[in-house]
Amino acid sequence: MRRHPRALLVEILLSSAETLKEHFLNPSNVGEAGEPRFTGRAVSVSCGAVVQFSVQVDQAHNILQAKFRAVGCDVLISASSLLSEAVTGMSTAEAANDVHSQSFVEEFAEIDDNRSACVALAGSALISALQDYSNTARDEWSGDDALICTCFFVSEQTIEREIQNRGLTTVGEVTRVCSAGGGCGSCHQLIQEIIDSVALP
Amino acid sequence: MIYLDNNATTRIAPEVAEAMLPYLTKFFGNPSSAHALGREMKQAVENARQEVAELIGAADTSEVVFTSCGSESDNWAINGALATQPEKKHIVTTQVEHEAVRNLCQQLETQGYEVSWIGVNSEGELDMEGLRQALRDDTAIVSVMLANNETGVLFPISEIGQLVRERTNALFHVDGVQAVGKLPIDLKSWQVDLFALSGHKFHAPQGIGALYMRRGVDLPSFIVGGKQEDGRRAGTSAVPGIVGLGAASRLARLEDDHDTVLDLRNLLEDSILNEIPNARLNGPADRTKRLPNTSNISFEYVEGQNILTHLDQHGICVSTGSACHSSSHESSPTLRAMNVPYTTAQGSIRFSVGRYNNDAEIRETLNVLPGIIRKLVDMSPYEKELKALYAKKA
Repeated sequence: MRRHPRALLVEILLSSAETLKEHFLNPSNVGEAGEPRFTGRAVSVSCGAVVQFSVQVDQAHNILQAKFRAVGCDVLISASSLLSEAVTGMSTAEAANDVHSQSFVEEFAEIDDNRSACVALAGSALISALQDYSNTARDEWSGDDALICTCFFVSEQTIEREIQNRGLTTVGEVTRVCSAGGGCGSCHQLIQEIIDSVALP
Repeated sequence: MIYLDNNATTRIAPEVAEAMLPYLTKFFGNPSSAHALGREMKQAVENARQEVAELIGAADTSEVVFTSCGSESDNWAINGALATQPEKKHIVTTQVEHEAVRNLCQQLETQGYEVSWIGVNSEGELDMEGLRQALRDDTAIVSVMLANNETGVLFPISEIGQLVRERTNALFHVDGVQAVGKLPIDLKSWQVDLFALSGHKFHAPQGIGALYMRRGVDLPSFIVGGKQEDGRRAGTSAVPGIVGLGAASRLARLEDDHDTVLDLRNLLEDSILNEIPNARLNGPADRTKRLPNTSNISFEYVEGQNILTHLDQHGICVSTGSACHSSSHESSPTLRAMNVPYTTAQGSIRFSVGRYNNDAEIRETLNVLPGIIRKLVDMSPYEKELKALYAKKA
């Protein structure tokens, strides 16, 4: 069963003080993931924190390793450590779906307190690493039909068909109908371009 | 616990606690009362005033007025100086003052006062030429700290006092909070009109401070009420605290621990700077330009808050110059005024040694610290920069 997309970061944010402290003092997964490695970075302009995630992904699109480096507050380090543990073993689609940050950072930030921004920053870095993976996978795809959504393996043809048959006009609608764009979000621009091209007279 | 945060506050000296005890028990009177108990209290207050006056080299005992803290003294000095010269609307201060002065002056800026904020160089030393040029006929007050709380950098008060006298009729206020008890102070030979000090920075309890007012400088009472302190500050005298401040002043004057503190600080500072490749001193390398007890050291490309938490795990207490508030991470205004790069300011730690520290504590700190820094360095995404620093050192 798929969890609510926000669940993972919320769980981290609501971790006990002891858990956060333990992960700060002895963080898991510090460093670089093995090859093939995909990396992403997130920087906070307001607080100066920098966090970098790298993931190693196998042929079946499962995350074998998730590793991080960070300079920032104690919470950022705890969150990165917890997040790296949580997504190890997940498929990239699952992880992206669980962590997807862009769309809800603001809403999420209202949940609590001064720590949400730090937790969200770790999430952004991981998403960025997953997008690096998706972009690479898309470029390397050698099937007959162009692959658009590399998280849920949705082809250009499928997306085009759904748009035409159902008269879809937004990326959100496409995602609801065929999951395309529901993961890391790296294909949103491509889906929008397909919508635009189908809509042309 | 290893307490290396003596610029934040200090332990109450046993001698001070002992001196205070009778005033927490049997001597409970009001020094304003006319009976025997009141007279006993009054005498204790005047003895303490004498001790404080001697410590700071006041020409006359009556120049010392007791307050509740350093911030009250600073606020009173500045607000009082402005109140006595209503026609003057200009203030001169520095970019690196304690909040008690900085935030007050910022507030005054919104109330029609013009403030000249004098800068410092990259080592934290005051821009004397900038100060000279800022002084004007309508300058009401010049407010400058003697020792910076974060870096320990000393400002040349005697020289500044002369400059102020030569160029203006402004009152000269010195925030001496961080310096008293750590340096010899001789106000009668300096051209200082107002001088703030705080007891808890030199082994008196929290909640007691004093303002020195040069004879002839008469500020209106900051608190409206009775005629205590010769009508200069209303409010029943806080006798136990005042007695404690007197005892701490006596201790600071007679028990010379400056050399021990200096040796411990130097050992700590030298070892850190020698052994840790990304360690960098904030402040002048020339130690005569700094307090004998303070080292502000940045560990580049790592986060000060992380270092503090790790040291805390080992029972070692320090401060960091950077503070993370919800969505903003502000490096200290002092380090910003010194133009310390962000990635350096972010990792700043203030070590401040005191009279109750010993060699073993410093060695224990030096034992623990490199491992903590190494751990954070290994975690930092600034791998290239750190690799270069570590290669250079090796």
